[in-house]
Amino acid sequence: MTISIWRYSHLALAVSSFLFLALASLTGIILAFQPISEKIQPYRSENFDQADLSQVLPVLRSKYPGITDISVDANEFILVNGSDEKGEKLSVYVDPLTGKILGTAGEKNEFFEWVTGLHRSLFLHEAGRFVVGLTAFLLVLITISGIILILQRQRGVKRFFAKIQRDHFAQYYHVVTGRLSLIPILILALTGTFLSLERFGLFNTTFKSQEIDFDALKSGPPANISDFAIFKKTKVSQLQSIEFPFSQDVEDFYTLKLKDRELTVNQITGEVITQTAYPLPLIISKLSLNLHTGRADGIWAAVLALASANILFFIYSGFTITLRRRSNRIKNKFKADQSEFIILVGSENGSTFYFASAIHQQLIAAGKTAYLTELNSYTHYAAAKHIIVMTATYGLGDAPTNAAGFQAKLIKYPQTGPIDFSVVGFGSHAYPDFCKFAFEVNNLLAQQPWASPLLEIYTVNDKSPEQFNQWAADWSQHAEVPTTLSAGPLKPRQQRKQPMLVMNTTQVHSNGEAFLIRFRPKRRQKFSSGDLLAIYPAADHRERLYSIGKIGKEIQLSVKLHANGLGSTYLARLKAGDSIQACLLQNPDFHLPPNVPAVLMICNGTGIAPFLGMIDQLSPKTNAHLYCGFRGEASFQLYKQALEESRTSNKLNGLHIAYSREGRKEYVKDMLERDRSLIADVLVSKGVIMLCGSLSMQNNVSTLLEQVCQNQLGKSLSYYQSRSQVLMDCY
Amino acid sequence: MSSAFKIVLLAILIFLGKAEQAHAQKGPSTKYKCMIQMTNYAGEGAYIVISLIDPKGAYEKTLYVMGPDKKWYKSLKEWDKFRTKKPANISAITGASITGGDRSVNTIEIENSKVNSGYKIRFESAVEDKEYHTKDVEIPLTTEGLSSKSDGSGFIRYVRFSAN
Repeated sequence: MTISIWRYSHLALAVSSFLFLALASLTGIILAFQPISEKIQPYRSENFDQADLSQVLPVLRSKYPGITDISVDANEFILVNGSDEKGEKLSVYVDPLTGKILGTAGEKNEFFEWVTGLHRSLFLHEAGRFVVGLTAFLLVLITISGIILILQRQRGVKRFFAKIQRDHFAQYYHVVTGRLSLIPILILALTGTFLSLERFGLFNTTFKSQEIDFDALKSGPPANISDFAIFKKTKVSQLQSIEFPFSQDVEDFYTLKLKDRELTVNQITGEVITQTAYPLPLIISKLSLNLHTGRADGIWAAVLALASANILFFIYSGFTITLRRRSNRIKNKFKADQSEFIILVGSENGSTFYFASAIHQQLIAAGKTAYLTELNSYTHYAAAKHIIVMTATYGLGDAPTNAAGFQAKLIKYPQTGPIDFSVVGFGSHAYPDFCKFAFEVNNLLAQQPWASPLLEIYTVNDKSPEQFNQWAADWSQHAEVPTTLSAGPLKPRQQRKQPMLVMNTTQVHSNGEAFLIRFRPKRRQKFSSGDLLAIYPAADHRERLYSIGKIGKEIQLSVKLHANGLGSTYLARLKAGDSIQACLLQNPDFHLPPNVPAVLMICNGTGIAPFLGMIDQLSPKTNAHLYCGFRGEASFQLYKQALEESRTSNKLNGLHIAYSREGRKEYVKDMLERDRSLIADVLVSKGVIMLCGSLSMQNNVSTLLEQVCQNQLGKSLSYYQSRSQVLMDCY
Repeated sequence: MSSAFKIVLLAILIFLGKAEQAHAQKGPSTKYKCMIQMTNYAGEGAYIVISLIDPKGAYEKTLYVMGPDKKWYKSLKEWDKFRTKKPANISAITGASITGGDRSVNTIEIENSKVNSGYKIRFESAVEDKEYHTKDVEIPLTTEGLSSKSDGSGFIRYVRFSAN
């Protein structure tokens, strides 16, 4: 469906290796406990760090005459091998300074040996080793593709550890734990790959000691072992092992294997006979083994155990994500050119499809012809009357992968009939570019001559079912789909109607005239200017929404009377003292932000309603301008007194009124055209521009705003929309 | 006495002597330190078995096994036949396998009567995915053999003994 190349690789690699990966992880978890279980043994001496060989060797030689070698393991235990006085085999852990026995070397743990065999070769010898090595290499690739996917999702390196949008459990923790354990997993995978390659001889890790020139060996002057210079400067902690001379013959010598080189030492004179550095591949190989097994550090071993457990979780959550995504695949009942309703989806990880599918199914259930597809598949739709776009935003305000080609196709395929459209943006306020792509699509569609907006753009934050259902309810009202749409199994909007008391209402005489009506909720409820009041004029499913202004504690609506308007005729009949059932709906997308430095309020006609309330609440510090358009002075009369008071009390810094049928016959847009620099200043100073009124006004003003943004600010309008600096509530 | 009689008498004495040895569970024995120096090959640790070979060339006793995991014993083919035919408890004479370039010093116990009696000591070696050397080193069990350095032909560079 919506699969980018990286996601596809990530999935393909995981699918091809998950069985072996699961086995390797499971055995890996068990094996991590081997170093942990060894390290808790009390065989490490406190003297380990300071002891040097000139102190240690004389003690151990006199205490254990049959000593043949000493080795220091990854746990920093010092093991003496040799034979005791009876000639029996001796293999004990000792304190380097006192020679005291700290413990007896036990057999290797058979269980761990068995698990190691399974982990390394699946008991299949060379074939198994190859498979395990290949799996390790695939894990490297999976990790790299995973890192790139996180970078894409988080929009850049800097935001790598920023908040992650939560779609569902598997997806969220796949990403969250992925970020945390990618370093240990990458190390495990790289070292595992290296060890396998080494095993197959791709790196030459063989080491040849230098030949000893036995004729040149000096048999004197004899020195005391505790005076050997090389032993004085070599610490036990540098040591891997020492082999003692096999006999007292001068041709037998000490062999010191340090971490980085091998030395041979004349047992009589203490001279260094040969010195050979280990080749780099051998050192890397040892380091790889340390890192891969955690044998050198108990904490690292624990980290590796967690990382291995995490791989198992990735396998589980990765498949869950994939299955969810596959279940979202589009199944269409009707063909594109038969369908009245076209639903276009832009989704990166498929979650927006969940909402789109719900609407799609409900439309079909309501007997409509509907067609669901990706934005990229946009084409000419012969029978379409409605287009619904539901889209997420990806990366830095970019289009999701399956919507990237939409803009080009929109221009390529103009529709023939008039089509109403509605855009729903999905996103999260956790990101700076909230629903930016959705705003872009909305602006693009609005510019098409065949397209007219049925509704203002709606945004859904963090998949809020309430916000989505609000759109669904509003859209079904406007599209006259006689059913309440909702996000699938989620409940439709809770319509908690409550009684509202009519406080007063202004006189209205004829159609086309506007009036103001004020309500007081009988129950206490918090609300703000810009919220919506839903009324039910016929007491059935039909609702009408009005933007409200908050005046004091009262709800004020500005309503224009239409001859056949269901809502306006109903409201016009109300008298002070009447009571109606209505529902207050929060509309946080159209609230005046607190302490905003500057605000431009732009409206026409009754769109002034929320602004009347907002002006009432303005702080004197805010630089506020109202641009409003009316037919003529008579229409303005209704608001004149209140607005002029605000102007004289300096709550409003500018009051700009355009009359379309009188005087200069101009529109709001024409006034704004003259104040381009003010628009730019407001946006730069983090102020907001709010639009309320008719969609055609919005269309004209948006075009102007887009020009100002592009020409004077070098950004798109959607940039400011996604940052909630341009707010719209039109109808 | 005729020379023929002498030969028969000698043969009888040897036979009796052998029979006596065979019956005696354990004659006096000596412990030797045995050092194996490996060549610088790359790969897994080598499994090496030190065996006592009788004058007829047959395995008589296992002296030491370097390599703890029984599942690899079958790679030491010849010895494995002897081991399966005449199972013996070898846990006390089993040690770790030896990797390329390493040295291993172990103690082996040899009955004094076997020395200078036509016996041999055989070192056979195998590495998991590499070749198998039936006679990596084989030395006559003589006083001289036990005091000199014997070069190997496979994974073993040389072998040395010393009385413990």
